[in-house]
Amino acid sequence: MSEMLTFASGGDLRTAFGGVDLGKLSFSLEEGDATVPFALLDTFDAQIAAAGLLLVQTGDGLHLLGGGAALRQDCAEPDFIANMPVGPVTKMLAGIVSPLRTLMTVAEGSLARQGLRVLDDYQKTHLRGTLWVLDAGKGRVVSLPALTALRGYDKSLSKVTAKLGAKADGRKLGSMLEASALLRGEDPALIGKTRIVMTPDEKAFKAANDIIRAQLVAARRQEDGIIADIDSEFLHEYRVALRRVRSVISLFKGVYDDKQTADLKARFGAIMARTGRLRDLDVYLIERDRYLALVPARFRPGIGKLFDMFAAQRDVEHAKLTAYLDGKAYEKEVAKLEKLFDKTRHLSKGPEAGRHALDFAKALIWKRYRKVCKIARAIDDTTPDEQVHELRIECKKLRYLMEFFAPLFGDNEVKSLIKALKKLQDNLGNFNDYSVQQAALQEQADALAGSAEPDTVEIATGIGGLVTVLHNKQLEERSRVTASFAAFDSEDTQARFRALFKPEGEAKK
Amino acid sequence: MKIVACYSNKGGVGKTASAVNIAYGLAKSGQRVLLCDLDPQGASGFYFRVKPSKKLTDERFFTDVKRFTSAIRGSDFDNLDILPANMTFRDFDVFLSRMKNSRSRLKKALKSVDSDYDVVLLDCPPNISTLSENVFKSADAILVPVIPTTLSERTFEQLLAFFEENGLPKKKILGFFSMVQGTKKLHSETIAGMRKQYGKRLLDVAVPFSSEVEKMGVHRAPVGTFARNNAAVKGYDLLCKELLERL
Repeated sequence: MSEMLTFASGGDLRTAFGGVDLGKLSFSLEEGDATVPFALLDTFDAQIAAAGLLLVQTGDGLHLLGGGAALRQDCAEPDFIANMPVGPVTKMLAGIVSPLRTLMTVAEGSLARQGLRVLDDYQKTHLRGTLWVLDAGKGRVVSLPALTALRGYDKSLSKVTAKLGAKADGRKLGSMLEASALLRGEDPALIGKTRIVMTPDEKAFKAANDIIRAQLVAARRQEDGIIADIDSEFLHEYRVALRRVRSVISLFKGVYDDKQTADLKARFGAIMARTGRLRDLDVYLIERDRYLALVPARFRPGIGKLFDMFAAQRDVEHAKLTAYLDGKAYEKEVAKLEKLFDKTRHLSKGPEAGRHALDFAKALIWKRYRKVCKIARAIDDTTPDEQVHELRIECKKLRYLMEFFAPLFGDNEVKSLIKALKKLQDNLGNFNDYSVQQAALQEQADALAGSAEPDTVEIATGIGGLVTVLHNKQLEERSRVTASFAAFDSEDTQARFRALFKPEGEAKK
Repeated sequence: MKIVACYSNKGGVGKTASAVNIAYGLAKSGQRVLLCDLDPQGASGFYFRVKPSKKLTDERFFTDVKRFTSAIRGSDFDNLDILPANMTFRDFDVFLSRMKNSRSRLKKALKSVDSDYDVVLLDCPPNISTLSENVFKSADAILVPVIPTTLSERTFEQLLAFFEENGLPKKKILGFFSMVQGTKKLHSETIAGMRKQYGKRLLDVAVPFSSEVEKMGVHRAPVGTFARNNAAVKGYDLLCKELLERL
């Protein structure tokens, strides 16, 4: 049938209809039902809103608004999509929401629904649907007209879209992400990806501090979710943010003086260290089903018990980390770090602090890119694994630098280069993961060796089976490295790296 | 899909009003209905507030699937679409047979735009022409409103004779009494006489006369939408039921 018109408008659209001139068409708002409570459901990082949809739970069901058609299914507790009842809404969401992310109530308030029609001068209906007015209190109101054209009246739909778009109470129609942010009472820039503003001639010192400050905010936003143990992505995002902080400190060489750099590295490293074991266990548990599928049936009971062990260890680690994050020492330390980057006058500048950001960025990225190429070009099928690991680490550093400075070079251009790099990184990442996992499992087996537990032998046998499979997987990934790099090292990509990042005045190589 | 023609070779028998109310009644009962407004004088589309489409005057119209499907308009009621008036009717029979053929491009095109109708109701012009002859051939049933008067009885007789002469299947004809006034002796006598003579060619239902039906032009809507408990509405509902049984 016809396309549906849904868009979000900050504020109550009902007051705007009178002022919209639709020519021979006019709005007709039916008497509304009584106001009912609603809950806005989404992942913490607003994956549903980012896809242009709002998931609204009311007493009469779970409604997914904003797609080609309004979908509904029976009410359900927010959870991982896979754990929720199957229906048209969850079916659609399964393709949108990461399986690692759980849904949660991100805003609540009262909902008014009214029948809405667009009629012509004969009072013939052209469009009909429902106006959803979601009020989360404190003036946080979002209107969502969900209108469908009757057969043959699609032109009226585009007309109304255009007219409402121009008017809408003087406010511009926003994206679902903005609507969601408004209801959540959050900054739309924050619920999605962290973005900072950077200018080419600002000082490298300022650029570094801005990035670190934004990443600290991003990290701190995850704390409640980690403590409440909503899903494993909170800890993951927390670590990503802190890793970015540490990357700035170590990669932006000379922006801070040596002593300051060492001090910051140590302090952020200490926080990060608290989280490592829990993240490792999370990763194992996420992979549980895949691992079980990888090994022959006879190893599965042992692997199952191994994962039960991991799950028990994870609970202990989570309790430890929660105690740490809840503790006074952590709060005091983070507050100090935040203050340090807010005020910045107590940060000791290094020799590069005054360089222009663009100049600095080009030098860093170009140097790192050439290093990646140099290492990679020396790799063949006989090169020791250490060099492959080194390549992985250099690629990661290059990626971080490109992401940090993307605002200076045009996001889209950088994005497409990152995409090319990412393919190589995926290959190297898998290679590394298989290698790290083998080592960790071996360690686990060694630790079990002296144990008198009755399941020891079964678990150790399972580990043996899994390690063999992982080893083979690692070899597979290793054999692809040369080809992956060759794909990344195309002449086109080389030319684009050169054009974007090569510092002026540097001799042709 | 069934094609039902609403036809009368006599004017002023409430043909268009019947087509509108039957289309509405069928849709209400869950049938997916397309009402085709073929009668430039009746303008059943008018009762659904659908503006006639200028595009439809083109002769190529019925051979062009896209033009056809894009001319269809949704009514304000579920399950009921309208093909507005103002067209020439050459090739209409070809068009109808394509609509019935499940392998035809037209049928597939209709399906693809979610217009796989259960009933296509044709509001036909009130003369016997090439068009009506073609319609008689393609239709599964021909609904003929009959006011129980001597004159109407004669035109009904003429229609049956026409079918006979042209080798058309008479059993497609389903007459029904329309605008019946129970207090009129002539009406009840004519009904009794005709039932005896024409048997199965007449539906059991008799739709009573109602001033509400005449007000349809003011409301520009089927009578059932503004006078729900009217006797004529009940008559049309019964008629829909009987029609579906006979199809």
